[in-house]
Amino acid sequence: MGAVLPVVVLALWEMLSRAEVLSEDGFSRPSRFVVAGAKALADGTLLEQTAQTFAAATEALLIAAVAGIAIGAILGLFKPLERAAQLTIDALRPIPSVALIPLSLLLFGFSRNMSAAVAAFACFWPILLVTISAVRGVDGRLIEVGRLLGFSFARIIVKFALPAALPGILVGIRVSAGIAIVVTVTTEIVTNPRGLGFAMTMAAQSLQADLVWATLMWVGVIGWLVNWSLERLERRWLRYR
Amino acid sequence: MLEAQSLSVAFGAQTILREVSFSVAEREFVCLVGPSGCGKTTLLRALAGLAPISSGRAVFKEQEVRGPQTELAVVFQDYGRALLPWRTVAGNVALALEARGIPRSEQSARIAPLLEKMHLTQHADKFPSQLSGGMQQRLQIARCLAQEPQVLLMDEPFGSLDAITRQELQDEVARLAKEERRTVVFVTHDLEEAIYLGDRVIALAANPGRIAEIVDIELARPRNQLATREDPRFLQYRHRLYKHLGH
Repeated sequence: MGAVLPVVVLALWEMLSRAEVLSEDGFSRPSRFVVAGAKALADGTLLEQTAQTFAAATEALLIAAVAGIAIGAILGLFKPLERAAQLTIDALRPIPSVALIPLSLLLFGFSRNMSAAVAAFACFWPILLVTISAVRGVDGRLIEVGRLLGFSFARIIVKFALPAALPGILVGIRVSAGIAIVVTVTTEIVTNPRGLGFAMTMAAQSLQADLVWATLMWVGVIGWLVNWSLERLERRWLRYR
Repeated sequence: MLEAQSLSVAFGAQTILREVSFSVAEREFVCLVGPSGCGKTTLLRALAGLAPISSGRAVFKEQEVRGPQTELAVVFQDYGRALLPWRTVAGNVALALEARGIPRSEQSARIAPLLEKMHLTQHADKFPSQLSGGMQQRLQIARCLAQEPQVLLMDEPFGSLDAITRQELQDEVARLAKEERRTVVFVTHDLEEAIYLGDRVIALAANPGRIAEIVDIELARPRNQLATREDPRFLQYRHRLYKHLGH
């Protein structure tokens, strides 16, 4: 059902392009960029670039998830600490992640870590905020049960608070996974000579509109696949509901 | 074995309980009844070490109760909030064993008889959300038993169950208490339930919560839902205690 709209749009596009309503210089046409994409896939360049982007985005998401969940859990459990951290969070969060590109370049050079650091910054905030509110929302009764059973405070967090907050945290991770891809590709377009973003820049500079479009669509497909996989994972982990 | 010694609880300026004193003997089944707002749940929580006591103290085996301890298990009314929804029936019982540091290899051998006892054996791999209310409450009781406590503190455990399930569970808890030689403190607003289950009924009065009357229940055990409730003495106890429920 959901595939109808893209297919209609592509068909319309193909017709308008063949009727020369759309300029081929910028818009290419679906039949051409499918071929360009297939070629790039076949010779391995697209897959290599995908692996680079994917590795950087995954690294970013992992760093953001570990830091966001750990700090979020602590701030969610201790209200005074959250109040103390509020100003810092509110001041740092609005910094556009791309503004960190020069700094990250200085720190990491042209490397996977350079993209990952910038993307991790962007991914960290949604996970942090969602974790704080999810942990805060855990029913106090569950914590009491943990105390009555004789668990230590640390084990109450691991066995009660975090699993209870998991549905919320997973939503934060899924949102951040999308952000990780967006920001990673951005860093590659702006400076980092690797990955799908750089591939698009290079294709545009050599006026290969078909390859630009093919790569762009490919980024969309990757993003969709990542979201779909995480949704399935979520459903599996939360099947008790 | 378990005592309240002029125990008072206040939240801010409001006194919830004022100088409540009583003691529960080993293996005794004591029921606390009273109108809503008389502080019976707070009293139970204070005995469990969950509610802050403003003066007086709760004492368990000559030791002041300063916080939760595994010897004192609590069965909450709202079983849905007290069970871990992401753990199966067996997993929820295992929780009590994990807390006691019992190795995983020994756990299933301990869980099986408890599930058997609470008629949950064929539901071992289900999640709480797949169980009826009565079964969820049985599960909570099974988990409390896995804790191997000396005292079961039960807070209106059957308050949200239908009448038939409630009677069934009343008989099971009465049987468990005797067979397993546990001490039980049972909070309820249902006077007949209190008389039916208790060796002793403590009636509380409200504003502030305090003891109105303590009545020994001398009805033979095992009790029977029909015969016991038709016993003339049962009706006498009911008459005697009825006035404390705000009538």
